[in-house]
Amino acid sequence: MVALSVVLGVVVLLLAVLVAGLLRSHADILKALHDLGAGVGDPAGDAAHDHGADGRAAGPVSVPLTMGPALAADRDSTSAPAVVGVTPSGDALAVAPATSGGLTLLAFLTTGCATCAGFWEAFRQPDHLGLPAATRLVVVTKGPEREIPGEVASLAVPGLRVVMSSDAWTDYEVPGSPFFVLIDGGTGRRIGEGVANRMSQVAELVRRAEVDARAFALDTRPGRDVGLDGPQRESANDAELLAAGVLPGDPSLYPKSLEDLYGPPDARLPSATRHVHRAG
Amino acid sequence: MTTMHAHGISAGLPSGFEGRIFKRSGNGIEVTNAVAQFATFALPDEVGDFGGGAVQLMGNDDIFAVLFEYGAESVGTRLFAHPGIPRKLSGADFQPQVLRRGITGQAGTQWFFTESGRPFTFYAVLGSHARRSVLVPRVNQLLAGLSVDRVPAPAGTGAPWN
Repeated sequence: MVALSVVLGVVVLLLAVLVAGLLRSHADILKALHDLGAGVGDPAGDAAHDHGADGRAAGPVSVPLTMGPALAADRDSTSAPAVVGVTPSGDALAVAPATSGGLTLLAFLTTGCATCAGFWEAFRQPDHLGLPAATRLVVVTKGPEREIPGEVASLAVPGLRVVMSSDAWTDYEVPGSPFFVLIDGGTGRRIGEGVANRMSQVAELVRRAEVDARAFALDTRPGRDVGLDGPQRESANDAELLAAGVLPGDPSLYPKSLEDLYGPPDARLPSATRHVHRAG
Repeated sequence: MTTMHAHGISAGLPSGFEGRIFKRSGNGIEVTNAVAQFATFALPDEVGDFGGGAVQLMGNDDIFAVLFEYGAESVGTRLFAHPGIPRKLSGADFQPQVLRRGITGQAGTQWFFTESGRPFTFYAVLGSHARRSVLVPRVNQLLAGLSVDRVPAPAGTGAPWN
């Protein structure tokens, strides 16, 4: 009887130690969660209780949250990585639009979407697309693991450059199909991207992007219209100055201060206003 | 570095290169083999095996290269006796007179070899012979990324009961 009581006491004691350990562990977890800003009740309320061990206010802690694949460190919204994949016939194809020199239009299409069907049809007549001359058109579908090469082949007219590459859809962060990306090979940058329902809209997108790129001097390819240079530029400048009555040795050609360039500070605004009125 | 693979040829492309690995469609009589073309400029749709239609578009800092496979009957011949892909070329390996299309200012090199039991030639063109000190290292980068799979034994050479 005594032995039984002793054994029972030991068991109770062990259970008590076990329960105490569990309670301690639970308390540690709750404390850690509290330090991270998670807890019961309104986190904005009763700030007097929200203090860490060092007495500072323990506000919410931002926890890094990543959605989707990590982006390479050298990626940005204008980068234009190479498109590498296979053709519907099983050949390998890699297109490097950032170094090709001219404009490259990437058309991200699928075989299933109804809107894409119009583009597949339009691409059967490459001379009627309305794209600027020498624009390289590359159709990008998802890879063979997501698209049936035979179906892609049946939609692609011979001569149309088609790359099947799921990686390219990820690289260019394509939100859906159809989606178009225009790249200027001269600068290696994306200069336009977006969705469209008809080929005429794409042609307009390309035209605007090309004009914008030219306006901001992004296009520095040889052979393009980059204006005069060298002696011809100097001669043109001389002609403009002579026409404006500025002869060689004119003091205005040798400014010594900002006032020489723009006039006295109080005279600048009226001068600008007169200019605006004259122009208007 | 991006990697492309087809027809038993793999190519790790250095930055700025694009390429294609393909086989021309046969006419039922002749056998076509793998062709791999690489360039630092936009490859046109129609390019001859050794760059016809492309080398005319090259700028001074451009490179065109092709890895061209010959038929199995060439294996073991003296022309293809060199074992393995050449991996390190020098500026002296590029000469204007090696060009298949003699375009002024350009320079070329050509090597015949057998890799993984398959006979190949590697032909490369520099946009400017004068710029070879800058361009040849880029060709060597391309060569470093090339690999060739061994072609499986053709049917009929297996076990006698097949």
